[in-house]
Amino acid sequence: MRKRPVALSARPGGRPPASPIEQFEQVYRHNVDVVMGYFARRCREPQTVADLTSETFVRAVDGFATFDPRRGSDRAWVFGIAARVFATYCDQSAGGREAVARLGGHRQLDRDEIEELAERIDAERQGAALLQRCEQLPPVERAAIELVDLEGLTPKEAAVALGVSRVAFRQRLSRARSRLRKEHQINE
Amino acid sequence: MSKFTDHLWSDLVREHGPTLAQAERPAPARAGGARLLRRPRVLAGSTLGLAGIGAALLLALGGTAATTPAFAITRSNDGSVLVHLNYIKDQNLPQVQQKLASMGIHETVGIEMGTGAASVSGPVTCAQGPGATTKVKVLVGANGTETIAAGQSGGNTAEGSFHLIRCTVANNTNGSGNSGVAGNS
Repeated sequence: MRKRPVALSARPGGRPPASPIEQFEQVYRHNVDVVMGYFARRCREPQTVADLTSETFVRAVDGFATFDPRRGSDRAWVFGIAARVFATYCDQSAGGREAVARLGGHRQLDRDEIEELAERIDAERQGAALLQRCEQLPPVERAAIELVDLEGLTPKEAAVALGVSRVAFRQRLSRARSRLRKEHQINE
Repeated sequence: MSKFTDHLWSDLVREHGPTLAQAERPAPARAGGARLLRRPRVLAGSTLGLAGIGAALLLALGGTAATTPAFAITRSNDGSVLVHLNYIKDQNLPQVQQKLASMGIHETVGIEMGTGAASVSGPVTCAQGPGATTKVKVLVGANGTETIAAGQSGGNTAEGSFHLIRCTVANNTNGSGNSGVAGNS
């Protein structure tokens, strides 16, 4: 379980970010690692993880003017973007198109970066295995398990990220955990 | 942070920094702290009229005679303008803007406030954008730092200090008759 997200206004020295760039930097640094993990559990190629992470934050820059922390946490907002980026990537990959190129092109990675990302993909193997176990679940239930049990979002934040009501989300999360428990008991 | 995430941040700032800098952010949540974040506001600016004589001239004071002036606009004999205001406490940008407009000012000044005391005291010289001909300085609070008590500004709940991060001046395309400093009457 990951640590809970810190509040947007929390910052060394207690000073909140002053300019939009400072505010965005705080959102970026607070979320980039978990976004990378999100893609590392889904993709085996460092370059793809890098491209999807980049695309998520480019879209976040574009939409930053509309992000209101009073309506939901920055993590929920960024995860909502990451989920849409991944959905687009899957749609385009399924259509046989060069998804990443359409998403904005490759970032040139150096050897150290490729190694870092490859290590991250390895480190996420357990999470990826859990996701595989969830494959029989409907997509929303699978995402519910991932966001709450792997990323540490609250059900409320995860509901915002997935664009569903809190009540519906809690039902799906409960159903997903129950199914996984049953499956685990059967396998034992 | 890893090398990849640091590089990605550098790329984002390099390629999308201008977009971010202009993002109009919603007002921050105020629970548990002072009102800390302000978006850039726009003040009207102007072509200066007076051929300079003598030292600085106090051109305008905001506020009534019975109260401390909320802001002051001073024009120096070198053609520059100094705007002195308590931005956070008095919320008086619209009044400053009106005053400048009434002076026939045709350049636009934008300011951005940040929290904490100014690291360098005194007025901040505004960066001049395309077409800007007026040298404008803005001074907030006492020598660059404005301090407000809890409840002194709408929504603030604790004492806080603020300073001017940056200001810019640009040609106001809506203005007319802006012929620059020279030749104005």
